[in-house]
Amino acid sequence: MLLTGGLLGLLYVVFAVVLFSILNVGLAPMLIIVLGLAFFQYYTSDKLALAASGAKVVSREDAPALHDMVERLCAMADLPKPKVAIMDTPVPNAFATGRSPKHAAVCVTTGLWERLEPKEVEGVLAHELSHVANRDVLVMTIASFFAMLAALLTRFGLYAGMWGGGFGGGNNRNNNNGPPVWLIMLAVSIVVYAISFVLIRTISRYREYAADRGSALITGAPEYLMSALQKISSQMTLIPNRDLRQVEGMNAFFIVPAKLRTATAELFMDHPPLEKRLAALAAIAREMGRPVA
Amino acid sequence: MFGRKKLAEPKEDKLFALTTAAVTLDTELGLKTAGVAAVAFKPQSSGEFRSAFDDVDKLIEAVAQSCGSTVERKSDEYGFDWIIVRDPDLEDLVTTVHALAGEMTAQGFGAQLLAATFRFDGGEHPVYWIYGFKRGAFWPFVPIEDQKRDNALELELKAKLESELPIEPDLTRWLALFDAPI
Repeated sequence: MLLTGGLLGLLYVVFAVVLFSILNVGLAPMLIIVLGLAFFQYYTSDKLALAASGAKVVSREDAPALHDMVERLCAMADLPKPKVAIMDTPVPNAFATGRSPKHAAVCVTTGLWERLEPKEVEGVLAHELSHVANRDVLVMTIASFFAMLAALLTRFGLYAGMWGGGFGGGNNRNNNNGPPVWLIMLAVSIVVYAISFVLIRTISRYREYAADRGSALITGAPEYLMSALQKISSQMTLIPNRDLRQVEGMNAFFIVPAKLRTATAELFMDHPPLEKRLAALAAIAREMGRPVA
Repeated sequence: MFGRKKLAEPKEDKLFALTTAAVTLDTELGLKTAGVAAVAFKPQSSGEFRSAFDDVDKLIEAVAQSCGSTVERKSDEYGFDWIIVRDPDLEDLVTTVHALAGEMTAQGFGAQLLAATFRFDGGEHPVYWIYGFKRGAFWPFVPIEDQKRDNALELELKAKLESELPIEPDLTRWLALFDAPI
């Protein structure tokens, strides 16, 4: 996820640099293209995320219990009911997406539904609905847009300085001595991008705390979200119950090399570490006078 | 990107790590070999496979005789064939399993190998160490009643043996082998 996000962003920057310096597109059309892409992302966020994850929107007949739960929570949170989707994977997880509460979708995995108690699923769903209520898709789109803008402007400044300021003989000198201008521009924009990447992750982590707090307020019982978080991140839920011989049909199992999950520095994580979230939730629980184990 | 051309070849070389790990299994967890191991593979119906398998059979018989172990064959409802090896000595079990995997690879049917499983007794439930040939790693499997498994014990086994046994790092690949014929 982190790598994909990072590479995607990098691609975005490289794309902008190519458009800007190689094809000589001016700053104004450049801004329009970047803005256009950001808006496209923003307006299609619910469909994009659902399509990308392979989640299926389910009707009330397909999952009455899940629909009931979402409706109850939406009534508590004073939100319009979002689309409800299910993703068929044993890994317990959930996500919410959509540019506004009216165009939102919440998705739970079959693993979450099967492995967690109903109260715990409620806590997780309330967390996701808080993301919707807090308009986190909008917040994150704006945050990443400014990051893009920052990268662009740095490069533009450099471009203007190199080509605008040092015209005449300087132009040739620049080309003969030292690295080519486009390379410097690329390097600077990648550095700016890297910094904004860290900043965006930081904002994201604080949105998670906010959604945890929102979940506690909606359900009135933060202890269930706490136990849900512990269950979701526990290693035990990773161990499958399926038989090796059944899965053999899916050959993917065999060939993809093992990917060791190394500990990522907190700086790059888009979710806060579990202990910190649990500590924050425990503090909320104490404020609310709830018992916490 | 270009799609897979063929199945992964087996990695049988890490099997022997189990013989060193057996000491820790015994001293720290009180688990001893049950004197039985089994290899699961997908048989092909081609004549080529069958004649190759005759050679494998002969080799296995020879290895088993020199180690003094007994060998039998079974098939299961998933369409896999099992070769079951019985020998009170774990080292002989590993040697026979390794020879079997090596011979099948030499005959060009290494990709048909699925897993080897070694049973250990001494706890409340039998403990199985499954060796995935495609992964070249072991993972623990402790079935309890009702097609369930004791995840807590499995993770404890991983923690205690990580330093001496190549253990599959990706827990989502710790697949079960319920009702293995041993």
